[in-house]
Amino acid sequence: MGQKEHLRNFGMLAILIIILCALPSNINLYQRSVIMFTMMYVVLSLSWNIISGYTGYVSFGHVMFYGIGAYATGILVVDYGWHWIATLFVGVFVSFVVSLVIGFPVLRLKGPYFAIAMLGAAEGTRVVATVWEDLTHGGEGIGLPNIENSFETYFAMLVVMLVTIVVSYWVGHSRFGIRLNAIREDEIAAESLGINSTFYKLFAFALSAIFPAAAGGIQAYKVLYIDPETEFFILVTIYMKLFAMFGGKGTVIGPILGTFVLYIVQEITWVKFPTAHLIAFGVFIVLVARFMPRGLMGFAIDKGWARKGMVH
Amino acid sequence: MADMEIALDIQHLKKYFGGIKAVDGCTFQVPRGQISGLIGPNGSGKTTTFNLLTGVLEADSGEVIYNGENIVGLKPYEIFNRGISRTFQITRIYREMTVFENMLSASSMKMPVREARERAEQLMEFVTLTKLRGEYGGNLSYGQQKLLEFARALMTDPDLILLDEPAAGVNRTLLNNLLDHIHHLQEEQGKTILIVEHDMNVIMNHCEKVFVLDYGVKIAEGLPEDIQTNEDVIEAYFGHR
Repeated sequence: MGQKEHLRNFGMLAILIIILCALPSNINLYQRSVIMFTMMYVVLSLSWNIISGYTGYVSFGHVMFYGIGAYATGILVVDYGWHWIATLFVGVFVSFVVSLVIGFPVLRLKGPYFAIAMLGAAEGTRVVATVWEDLTHGGEGIGLPNIENSFETYFAMLVVMLVTIVVSYWVGHSRFGIRLNAIREDEIAAESLGINSTFYKLFAFALSAIFPAAAGGIQAYKVLYIDPETEFFILVTIYMKLFAMFGGKGTVIGPILGTFVLYIVQEITWVKFPTAHLIAFGVFIVLVARFMPRGLMGFAIDKGWARKGMVH
Repeated sequence: MADMEIALDIQHLKKYFGGIKAVDGCTFQVPRGQISGLIGPNGSGKTTTFNLLTGVLEADSGEVIYNGENIVGLKPYEIFNRGISRTFQITRIYREMTVFENMLSASSMKMPVREARERAEQLMEFVTLTKLRGEYGGNLSYGQQKLLEFARALMTDPDLILLDEPAAGVNRTLLNNLLDHIHHLQEEQGKTILIVEHDMNVIMNHCEKVFVLDYGVKIAEGLPEDIQTNEDVIEAYFGHR
């Protein structure tokens, strides 16, 4: 990719930042929350995309890292009186360590076996959060200080989203990313051509684990109450996957576009069709899957509106 | 072989799959700086031998000495990084990556990016794929995929190149092109090349030495013209006369 294209892409990102910085003081609390959660799902779907889109290891358990981040914030703010921003770093660190411990064995599995192992790991973490009452308050959950924090959390999520986008962009347009793609395409060939797949997969997995932890921590501080059922809810993983696939997995712009379109469509259908919003949302997804099976970016590539590949 | 430098010394290599003796104590020496052929009837263990040499499969026993080191037990990427590259019987190009990305994927991370890009461009030109650099690997014809896989295997400038059936499914024009490239590598750059091939024209006209496997055992080796008249080889291919 030429320097001009990088400049154009960062120019688009700069415009997005300016808009997102200008918005919060001109919109109401509900709208601020919708945009904050949209940014959160951009973080989650881009992170999922690093291990599942670039590397081809489809994770059904990424909510685990999000939950770990949420609990790090909840526990440290409520029980230890930490400043909530500092807790995000702890959540990220714990997620990083957990990703290495879990990643080493589960990344030896492939396809559905990996997916199921990750689902099991996430469920296992939820169970730990439920039964380890001394640390997590168990099923009772943790209530955080009830203060107006919509601006703080909005801008914190904006920063985390920007970091995630920049890192994803670097991965997608580097030889590191190409090597992850090679593992996705054919791991045996990749190994035979000099790629240490164990190292690369683990690196990608750890990278994909740290941003959801930060997002989970911010989300915990925003919603003021966390419990194992909501913080380790499988639907969060499904949304990450759905948004990334809708936009076009294995690309940088795809998960961002997919999240902004799909999350906002979901909100609109929820507001317009409160009794049937899931049906309306479902119909929308079916139509997209039927006519754009490789997502928005795949559709754009097929139409010649976008270039094939990430590195040109 | 006495006065010839050896690139790869294979000693008593064995690989069994349950009761099937895919490679059964195979021993031969690949001469350095030459094009050698590895032939044998279907199921004789040629591709399994390639997989053992490149670490895709782990040998049950035996040794493969390369530059004074036994490489049995090393991972495929470790063997690749020591200078042994390969292609596959059925092409294993990355179908949803562009030709250029396929090339870059095999570059060493130690090589600066600019240098890697230049080398990829040179090799694409070498195999006449420059015009297709932005096309997905999966959209190329089979012959072009073979060329891409061949060029990709050269990204790190390996010393020893293992080509598994380079002629299979490739039309005559492309094949001649590929063979010209192979000769160029051997003559101009002194590379060692070992070819598994069923096309006897390729083996007899382009290899300086031929090894013949049957049931996982080396049954003959020598010059192409000698192999053609070797009784054991004729029997392996056609049965008792």
